[in-house]
Amino acid sequence: MSEWQRVLWREQPFPDNYVPPSFLADLRLNSNFRPFTYWSLVGASGTLIQHICSISILLSIFIKLYTNQLDPRLLVLIITSTFIVGFALCEALSEEEERTLRETRAKVIKSCILVFLTLIALSPVLRTLTAPTSSDSIWALSAFLLFLCLVLADFRGPSAVRKRNESLQHVLSMNAGLAASIVLCSRLSDNLSVFALVLFSLELFGLFPIFRNQLKITSSVISHSLTLVFIVIAVALQASISALATITICSVLVFAMFCAPGLMIWAQQHKNEIRGPWDVAVPIVR
Amino acid sequence: MPINIAMVSDFFHPNIGGVENHIYMLSVELIKRGHKVIVITHSHPPDRVGIRWLVPGVKVYHVPFPTIASSATLPNFLTFLPYLRNILLREHIHIVHGHASLSSLAHEAVMHAHLMGVRTCFTDHSLFGFDDAAGILTNKLLEGALRNVDAVICVSHTGRENTVLRAALSPSRVYVIPNAVVAERFTPPEVPQTTDIITIVVISRLAYRKGVDLLVATAPRICQKFPQVRFLIGGDGPKVVELHQMREKYLLQDRIELLGSVRHGDVPSVLQQGSIFLNTSLTEAFGIGILEAACAGLYVVSTKVGGVPEVLPSEMISFALPEEDDVVSAISEAVQIVTDGRHDPAAAHNRIRTFYNWPRIAARTEKVYSDIQSTEPIDLITRMQRVLSLGPFFGPIQLAILVVDCIFFLVLEWWYPRENIDYVKYDWDIQKFEKLYGLDRRNAGVVPFNLP
Repeated sequence: MSEWQRVLWREQPFPDNYVPPSFLADLRLNSNFRPFTYWSLVGASGTLIQHICSISILLSIFIKLYTNQLDPRLLVLIITSTFIVGFALCEALSEEEERTLRETRAKVIKSCILVFLTLIALSPVLRTLTAPTSSDSIWALSAFLLFLCLVLADFRGPSAVRKRNESLQHVLSMNAGLAASIVLCSRLSDNLSVFALVLFSLELFGLFPIFRNQLKITSSVISHSLTLVFIVIAVALQASISALATITICSVLVFAMFCAPGLMIWAQQHKNEIRGPWDVAVPIVR
Repeated sequence: MPINIAMVSDFFHPNIGGVENHIYMLSVELIKRGHKVIVITHSHPPDRVGIRWLVPGVKVYHVPFPTIASSATLPNFLTFLPYLRNILLREHIHIVHGHASLSSLAHEAVMHAHLMGVRTCFTDHSLFGFDDAAGILTNKLLEGALRNVDAVICVSHTGRENTVLRAALSPSRVYVIPNAVVAERFTPPEVPQTTDIITIVVISRLAYRKGVDLLVATAPRICQKFPQVRFLIGGDGPKVVELHQMREKYLLQDRIELLGSVRHGDVPSVLQQGSIFLNTSLTEAFGIGILEAACAGLYVVSTKVGGVPEVLPSEMISFALPEEDDVVSAISEAVQIVTDGRHDPAAAHNRIRTFYNWPRIAARTEKVYSDIQSTEPIDLITRMQRVLSLGPFFGPIQLAILVVDCIFFLVLEWWYPRENIDYVKYDWDIQKFEKLYGLDRRNAGVVPFNLP
């Protein structure tokens, strides 16, 4: 009896449901499997922690403005100074030429002034924009928007960041964050507070991710210490508001930093990647 | 012993495609072998509704279900049962044969058939991955539908492995029966092609999965390398723009001809203009296109994906990895073979004709039916146990559907008793028809419905 062959073009002395010994020989299971280690995952959670802290800080700043514990002028001052420091750091870390840097600097200053003036002009409008909506709806809406901002954020590693392709998801996240602050600012009493809050959320969700990615490419030490600074600020601000909020933010951070990596490693044992000749090939074109 | 078979699929005439053609040709051949075949599909309002007949005696039931994308109906699990019960009972059906894994009608027919004491068979025509959302969802539905099927047919060995994994089947219940071609339609040209000009034919839907990127990358290099080569590209799709751009960029308007979409009836005449057929698909369960081309006497160059390596003997085809350089070298090899006259179109045609013909496929399918009928049907308790083993979440859902289905069936038995059904007493007799109209039996059978 001749040997079975994996061909269709000739009749073979085997029934059509014959199971050859080579059945599923080309099946590959978990060929791209790369086990995670716990501490590398904890290190990688930094971006997520920074984002959670950003949202927490925005909320505590809002509460402080809402209860008149914080002078909006001071907040504007802080925003401006952190922006200048951050921009200078970004320039120092970037590897581009002096001339292109000077060009971008001029552009940045121009757009800064533009955004500043637009926001000042818009702040009375923003303050009354959702004024007739009841506060309950505002809290619910802003919670939903901040949740969107958290889950849609771009947490990918520096390798993906380096390509500089702004994904739609990331843009949606940024917009959700901004929308949350705009919705919230209608509960504030004066125009300057509104201006300060929106400006702050712009810096937090619009500019900070750029800075964060730049840091991630250049130095992991600075990146990690930045995470630490964020945790301290977020917890300190919450602590000055209420004990319950402090406990909540602390438990969320501990979970994201230490429990989530453990869960991830546990979940990896269920990984079941099936590859074989039936997969859609990836064409290689020069 | 003649049996009564019901083919069930969402994809059938008047739509055109590989599955549609397969069902029709298989039905025709089974009718010729003395069986009775009906087809159950969804309706195409306003004109294709109710019961229609196709030459040479295929009875088509159009069930009034609306379609969603790509002519498929929504999975509705229960509402198909009243229609199916009446049709299967009045036509005295023994075996339900579902086709195509994206057809919910086929899935549901396989699911309901046991209530009427009808045995089941299912043909899977396509390959699915395991890592995309569509794959994950349809694989689970397929697993649920095929949990209690009596036999499954796949069109290639690769397809069989894929289906066994996707639907968690026992491999011995899965048969491999390839597609076939109507060799009379795909004949080599009577005057052989000259080797002064070598025409490379491509006929395919111009989409990413068909590897148009590879075609766009290789065609200019081949044109540069061989001044005697020209391309003839038939088909339409989202990637047609890239082909136009490539042609303009390299100024190849006189050497690359784009035909636009080609009607199925015109495919043979396009194939006859060429001597090499190029297929750059990235995935292919069987590759009926390369079989048709080989039958028309063309030498085939194809990417080595899916079930393609199984279809043709090595002297009729050159394989390439899905890489630009490899495709170029495979085409170069093919051009050399054709130039040297080492490829004999007539011999290739005869070889395909003797093996890939529909009577043979029908005979092999008939064997599957007799295997099904020689086994004992699965009883309800075993069905329930099998369905429950689908998983902690999907299992109970499917079990609930199965139980409700049984209750619904009992309600139907009471509400519309069997004795009220209008049973079919006289079946179509093809021999009588031929005697009356003097039709040549062979011609009546082999002319596909979608010829102009």
